Amino acid sequence: MPHPSGKSSPPRMRRILRFLLGLLVLLPLSVCAQEAAPPAPSGHGSFTAAHAAKARTQTADHSKFKILKGPFKDGDGPAVTRACLTCHTKAAEQFMATSHWTWNVAKDGKDGYGKATALVNNYCLTIVGGNTEGCTRCHAGYGFKDKTFDFTRQENVDCLVCHDTTGDYEKERAGMPNPAIPLAEVAQKVGSPTLKNCGACHFFGGGANATKHGDLDDTILKAPRAEDVHMSRQGAGMDCIDCHASTEHKVGGPNYVIPADRREQPKFPGESISRMSCAACHTNAPHASYILNRHYLKVACQTCHIPAFARGERPTNTFWDWATSGRLKDGRPYEEKDANGWPTYTSMRGKMVWERNVKPTYIWYNGNLKFTRLTDPLPASRPVVLNPAEGSYRDPNAKIWPFKFHEATQPYDPVNNTFVAPFTDGPPGTGAYWGDWQMDIAIKKGMETAGLPYSGKYDYIRTTMLWPITHMVAPKEQVLKCTECHARKGRLAEVQGFYLIGRDRGFGVDFIGFAVIILTILGVGIHGVIRYLHGRH
Amino acid sequence: MRRIVLYERYERFWHWAQALLIITMMLTGFEIRGLLPQLFGFQRAVTVHNVLAVTLLTLIVFTIFWHVTTGEWRQYIPTRKFLREMVAFYLTGIFKGAPHPVKKHRMAKLNPLQRLAYLGFKVLIIPVQITTGALYYFYPNLQHSLAWSPSALWFIAVVHVLGAFGLVAFLFGHVYLTTTGHTPTTNIKAMIVGWEDLPDDEYFEET
Repeated sequence: MPHPSGKSSPPRMRRILRFLLGLLVLLPLSVCAQEAAPPAPSGHGSFTAAHAAKARTQTADHSKFKILKGPFKDGDGPAVTRACLTCHTKAAEQFMATSHWTWNVAKDGKDGYGKATALVNNYCLTIVGGNTEGCTRCHAGYGFKDKTFDFTRQENVDCLVCHDTTGDYEKERAGMPNPAIPLAEVAQKVGSPTLKNCGACHFFGGGANATKHGDLDDTILKAPRAEDVHMSRQGAGMDCIDCHASTEHKVGGPNYVIPADRREQPKFPGESISRMSCAACHTNAPHASYILNRHYLKVACQTCHIPAFARGERPTNTFWDWATSGRLKDGRPYEEKDANGWPTYTSMRGKMVWERNVKPTYIWYNGNLKFTRLTDPLPASRPVVLNPAEGSYRDPNAKIWPFKFHEATQPYDPVNNTFVAPFTDGPPGTGAYWGDWQMDIAIKKGMETAGLPYSGKYDYIRTTMLWPITHMVAPKEQVLKCTECHARKGRLAEVQGFYLIGRDRGFGVDFIGFAVIILTILGVGIHGVIRYLHGRH
Repeated sequence: MRRIVLYERYERFWHWAQALLIITMMLTGFEIRGLLPQLFGFQRAVTVHNVLAVTLLTLIVFTIFWHVTTGEWRQYIPTRKFLREMVAFYLTGIFKGAPHPVKKHRMAKLNPLQRLAYLGFKVLIIPVQITTGALYYFYPNLQHSLAWSPSALWFIAVVHVLGAFGLVAFLFGHVYLTTTGHTPTTNIKAMIVGWEDLPDDEYFEET
């Protein structure tokens, strides 16, 4: 009787086998080790340090300059600018070449993609129907009242709104400084723009705090790290311009052209002024897991790292119903508010919906939003998407991006098939909508001012708009779990054009699979039962 | 009675390691597909599934080496000899207590049906799973560099999943058939200890 330990392998063979067995154990271990590669350098520390060092980088103490001591007449912004230009002789010229000044952008060889020209939005609609003076409170210039504004006059540039460090500077109608502001004091303390400077306008887009973007509002100034790991003072404490790097007064990242590095190639901030990217600081392989890193081919960092927007205390506007505006009580406009004090109806704007902690809408996006101008025919889609995102799975530049999806109704000209520019902002007797409450007159006036054709007929139409979400990046503990998307009814349930594991599970395939298993079990079960009944093995 | 060695130490190690790997990959795979309640969690299931895939592949490479160097691959050469008798045995004979139609030998330990089943397992199901699994894993790279169609991934996934269902069915059939030995546990015991005590009439001498 042979020994069970076998007789066939000669000792040498067994040694080889033993060696191979050792390898067998080691190889997978080395794969494990690869999966858990050392984490990439985080870079947080360096940015905090950079921020602390910013104060030291200024080489001039502006309080030492005689010309900035003034005195300046109350509200005389241009006088301050003239003083600035005595040293910074090219500053105004540089600034005048940027969209912060022109409020107009050319795109694909076509002009008019800007507030000052023909762009239509979902909130205050347009400014060119005679509303310029109220809206140019946010123009970085002085005296932009109407289309006669002189865009070539250097003293009209407002240096202080971006370079004020006191927090006291304030602008009024047509962008003029509030006359109560001590201009000389502000002028002597100028410095690099911080969150407050950019936020003075960009937190208040859409007419009020948090209204437009959803990922930008003034709660960021005092936010805990959980609201925005980058801009929170408890987080990296970064300023806007740390990412929106600037040169020659051109600020990186204009939304109307292309907002971000489409492929997330690592570039240090400022290397590519118009295109910033997360990868610039974080590299394009910041995770320990190869599979997570590979998501960057098709998924924007923002998609997983911004689980919701409007995570501060302020809700953002998600619906604006111009069609219901203009209702009066006893001939007077009125407001209705919800329990939290947010307006649910105003005569000026109609019904409104405000939301906090909003889950983004996810859409293929290659960085190009196709905007609509007053001069364009209405897009064919219903509801009209004012700025559809370009991109698909097959587009090598496109990724799945998070968006704030904004809905509205707004007036349009059904005969000319264009949007219209109502004159909204004016006192009673001028024909302004917010004075006389007549939309047909307001549109007629507005289109006259804008110099655009109007058929005399208007109606309301549902319009939607997409706002890319990129701020309010959450701490990594709040990042989306895999199954938020890799699930049948996950966040990407509506995103088409590709097979997504965990989501796309065909009934037919599972049916066949389970049928095969069940038939096998039935087969062997019946066989076993018969064997048992026969009392044999 | 005659004690014969059927499975050497490496063969037993291979068999049970492969069983463990494949069963764990079934669990993780079906969790990833969303057909099982949470066991590992999606992310860990993916990692485990991939690490085990590489482990299994490595095991298979060594096992091919073992098959070649020991000549054990000859055990899997399909034969028609006694094939009909084997089918008849499972369909009727086994219920009547008829003797097993094929006698075992050290170098002919698999009956004709086993030969067919295991050969199919080795040259069909496993290679299909490995190929589709690798294509699945590297699909993002392939899609990106070769501009593969999105439906290619769907096709890869469907084949991989059907293969997985097939493996589950195989597992049930396989485990059941182990009970058809001399006693219900004879075969499993042999796969653990390596040898089997066979009545003299179930063994044939080398000639």
